Amino acid sequence: MKNSDNQLSIFKSTFRHKSPFLNNLYRDRYLYMLLLPVLAYYLLFKYGPMYGIIIAFKDFRFVDGILGSKWVGLKHFERLFSNPEFYNILKNTLWLNFCSILFVFPMPIIMAIMINDIYSGAYKKTVQSFLYIPHFISWIVLGKILIAMLSPSTGVINSLLKTVFGIDPIFFMGDTFWWQVSFIISSIWQGTGWGTIIYLAAISGVDSELYDAAQIDGANKLRQIWHVTLPGIRSTIAIMLILRVGSVMDVGFEQIYALQNPTVRGVSEVISTYVYRLGIEGAQYSYTAAIGLFQSAIGLILISATNKTVKSLGENGLW
Amino acid sequence: MFSRKSMGEKIYIICNYFLLALAAFIAIYPFINIISTSFSSSRAILSGEVVFLPVEPTLQNFRMVLEDGQIFQAFKNSVTITLVGTAFNMAATVMVAYPLSKQRLMGRSIFLKLITFTMIFGGGMIPSFILVKQLGLMNTYGALWFPGLVSTFNMFVLKNYFQSIPMSLEEAAAIDGANDIYILCKIMLPLALPTLATLTLFYAVGWWNSYMNVIMYINNTGKLNMSAKLIQMIDNMNIASSAEGIGATQMLTPEGITATTIVIATAPILVVYPFLQKYFVKGVMVGSVKG
Repeated sequence: MKNSDNQLSIFKSTFRHKSPFLNNLYRDRYLYMLLLPVLAYYLLFKYGPMYGIIIAFKDFRFVDGILGSKWVGLKHFERLFSNPEFYNILKNTLWLNFCSILFVFPMPIIMAIMINDIYSGAYKKTVQSFLYIPHFISWIVLGKILIAMLSPSTGVINSLLKTVFGIDPIFFMGDTFWWQVSFIISSIWQGTGWGTIIYLAAISGVDSELYDAAQIDGANKLRQIWHVTLPGIRSTIAIMLILRVGSVMDVGFEQIYALQNPTVRGVSEVISTYVYRLGIEGAQYSYTAAIGLFQSAIGLILISATNKTVKSLGENGLW
Repeated sequence: MFSRKSMGEKIYIICNYFLLALAAFIAIYPFINIISTSFSSSRAILSGEVVFLPVEPTLQNFRMVLEDGQIFQAFKNSVTITLVGTAFNMAATVMVAYPLSKQRLMGRSIFLKLITFTMIFGGGMIPSFILVKQLGLMNTYGALWFPGLVSTFNMFVLKNYFQSIPMSLEEAAAIDGANDIYILCKIMLPLALPTLATLTLFYAVGWWNSYMNVIMYINNTGKLNMSAKLIQMIDNMNIASSAEGIGATQMLTPEGITATTIVIATAPILVVYPFLQKYFVKGVMVGSVKG
């Protein structure tokens, strides 16, 4: 604060304008020159689509434009809420998220605790570099690799299952249950290593004297994890969990798209893929914009509630 | 050290080392398998014999894939999309992060609110698509670059970094008569180099991996990037092999071609990864710890 006041007085003595507003504007003219083009970008490409949401209440046609299209009120929402297909994709979206919170979310925590207990620096580094790799590969590639490995006829997994255990080939991608398992496994593969980073940072902040004290009290390694490490990173876990819950209306388009096939559409179609298929491919713009609005509205409510919860836990909120 | 530990602790440590080695192996095994598949013969691939190393090593898959100029074209397209897109990203991110890092800037809190709001609410896929189409950007890379000009998260990372640089440096320059552009280019950017490197990498990886926006906005087959080309080739092969039957695909297996295309699409990231790894990790720390 003091620094900027200082600077202000320097500038003030150089340029004397009548109003402080113009004075400040002139003083920071270069900053505004940098900022304005990007602000224009935000208005056009971020706020522009928000304005475009009104097509959810219209029958949008490209020839008429957004303004010229006919208002139809809540027609698209009525169609949406009376459509059993919509309830199915909503259920799939929530269910896949629920499973991923249950099975994928704890993985980085467990792995971070394990990595933290490695004493050799070189070993730790090597393991970490391998674990991070999948995060940098696109879902399209990860999905196709997984499909190749899980193929019933040529995939390495099924051929191992057959030679080692004598199990008949499993149609991982064609069976609804196994598809969901594969989806979860793909999430674990992609995100676990990268997810450890934030927990490792939290663990390194735990007071090491607590471990010494626990050891003197005779606590073994597992008890130390339970009574010292986990309570020590509790707030990080809570924030990450709340953020995760805040995004339950979202399942990434590319992950589903890469793994999906028509046989398992009943369990794999989620909001994003449905909107893409009907909206972009099927040109039902207004109907799918209504779905998008429904999703964004729920998302906004969830993330606001999330933010409140985080703040009430005494942590920094998102805003 | 080790000898003073109890029996249980020793077992824990050994298990821990072993399990993590296993996890690291599982994380990269699929890449080993797909690389080996791409170098294996069609017979070995079809009978599911490829586990670790290429079986009956051959370059026929690569020859087939590279003979078809489309992959070269897609690779070039990916490079173009990535280089230009990343350059745009970095310029725009600096242009917005630097002014917003100045507490004295009038309107700063309004700008920040406007920008933060876009992180939690957006128009969604369809209105964005309509906007891009109405702007006449369809089938141009502008449809990719412009809507994705700034990642707000990355912008905040950089803004926080600028704010952490001591004011005194800048002040000294200001007294010497330097303007804000000069201070940004000669003082702030050199200091922020590690953070800039990290953000560049994040943007570049994002562009290289981009898929959804490509299939939404680019219809011209010759303009597709590697990801989109990969999916297109796989779809075409499935149609072809189901139409012609297995006999016709004896020479080239869809699995081998798929694996080879995957390897070509992924190679650039896997090649640069070991060298740039430290920058990848640093970024997440900057973003998460500062909050």
